[in-house]
Order: sequence, then C-alpha cells, then structure tokens
Amino acid sequence: MFVINCPHCQEAREEEEFHYEGEAFIARPANPEAETDDAWGDYLFMKKNPKGWHWEMWNHATGCRKILVAKRNTANHAIAGSWTLSEARKVYDKEQYDAEQATK
Amino acid sequence: MSNLELNLSQFSPVMQTPLQHFNLSAKQEKMTDAKGVWAHEMALLGYIHLRGNAQNKDFLTAVKKATGVDLPTAACSISVASAITMLNLSPDEWMLICPREQRAGLQKKLEAALTGIHSQVLDSSGGYTSVWLQGKQATDALQHCTVYNLHALTPNKVVGTTFGKASVIIYRLDNGFCLVLRRSFADYIWRYLARAAAPYGLGIAAL
Repeated sequence: MFVINCPHCQEAREEEEFHYEGEAFIARPANPEAETDDAWGDYLFMKKNPKGWHWEMWNHATGCRKILVAKRNTANHAIAGSWTLSEARKVYDKEQYDAEQATK
Repeated sequence: MSNLELNLSQFSPVMQTPLQHFNLSAKQEKMTDAKGVWAHEMALLGYIHLRGNAQNKDFLTAVKKATGVDLPTAACSISVASAITMLNLSPDEWMLICPREQRAGLQKKLEAALTGIHSQVLDSSGGYTSVWLQGKQATDALQHCTVYNLHALTPNKVVGTTFGKASVIIYRLDNGFCLVLRRSFADYIWRYLARAAAPYGLGIAAL
C-alpha cells in the first residue's frame, strides 16, 4: 500500500482511492488502418515490465476521477513524483532527452 | 387496451428517498450526550452537476450571477450560502446542492446565464442522497468506514473517498459531516455506517 499525491486534488491520498491505468505515454499509431496486425498487437498488448522506475497512469477513481501520471519504482513502490498528464509529458520528455544525451 | 389506459390514468408516482425502507423519521429522537453519534438523512434535495473551465472569467461571472455565490475554485473547497451548497469535486466539476423545490429554477437560471459559454449543467437529483452525521464520536465512527484521514478534513472542505467497498463525497461543516452518496449504494452505506456507529450509540436526530 502506498500514498499517491493527486495533482488535481493537491493532496496525498491512499492508493485505495486510485485505479491503475497502465503504462503512460504509449503513442497510438497515427494511421491504425495502415498498421500491420503485428504492430497493432504490439501497441495494444506489449507493455514494458521493468523492475525499477516506471512511468504509469493512475485514475483518482473515488476522488476527482481524473487521470494523473506517476513515476513509480516497481521494486519498492517509491514514487518519484506525480503530475497532470501535460506536466508529466514535459518531465518525461526531458528525462528521455537527457538519457539520450548521456549515451552519446 | 382499455385496461392499460385505466392503469395509466391511475398512475400517480410518489417520490421516495433511497433510505425510505429504514423508516428513519419514525426513529427520530432529541439529541442528547447519551449517544456518541447522531445521524439523519437530508432527504430529497436537489443536486446539480456543473462543469466548466475555472480559468474562464466569463464562466465564473455567469455562475455568480445565476446563483449569487462564488464558485469554489480551490481544490477540495466548498461555498455555503443559505439555500445552496457548492462542492468542488474536481478542477472542472462542481456539485450544487439546494432544496428540491428550488432545483428547477436554479437549473434554468444557470442555463440562461451560461448560454454561449462552454459548460454543462446537469440535474442529478435522482441519483443522490445526503446523510448528516454529528456527535462527539462521529469522527471515530466514520473513520471505520473510510481510508481518508478525517482529521485532515477541516471544516469547509470536501473530499471524494472510499466508504467500505463503495465511494462517497464527504464534506465537513463546523458541527459535523455530510455524506453525499449515490442512491444505488444508499442501503449498503447506511447499514455499514449504522454498524460502525453501533458501539458508540447511534441516534437518529430529530430535525
């Protein structure tokens, strides 16, 4: 059990109030009709399953019923932060960019 | 065919609260210190869901014009006026609670004031009921039912949280809690609450 900070209610709430909504920032194919069945199947079903930091969506189901994004460590349930979708996108993109630069 | 016509002509619907079968009004008594928890149903109120953009000044002004009350825009806040209570449920969603007989008028005024502004006014009166809870051990009794820390629920604050396996909206005023619950869960929630309050003594408060 853990506590998630809801950016919409601006308050830390029990996990019981939330519903898990899966991995965040999976890009939907722009032209689904043109996708192969394999690519479409990958989009639907092939999710990351890391041991460690994971970007994921939660729904504050009993509260504001809005979607939020949390960066959670799947091994020890540490939460690095939680944001609205648009704010999280900026943090996520910067993290991806920094990781890319570091490997160059 | 004539039978059907006959039946329809005799059809006279009666508005009942979802807690009707507990016959709470017959169990009412005067509040004393002998019981730790006092509850009563605030039956058959009017509930209006209002949605719109809180950053839009026109929207806020229009709502103020229609209701005479400032919309509570801060997270988890409420506005209380004599005949209307506004709950902030989410950044773009509010619940307006008023006496049932004022509901239609309030909805008309809101719809008129909000014409041309991106928003929604929805009558949800059939879907909800409210239970008022007070008494020196009301917090203890309610804490058995929900995961939210009720000591963090300060007066004039509203939260949506769990209640057993269901969910409720709870707001607090200076002297007690008000649970806003869905009609379909009313039976479950009342029984759960009555069981949780039993050790402290549950009384049905006379209005």
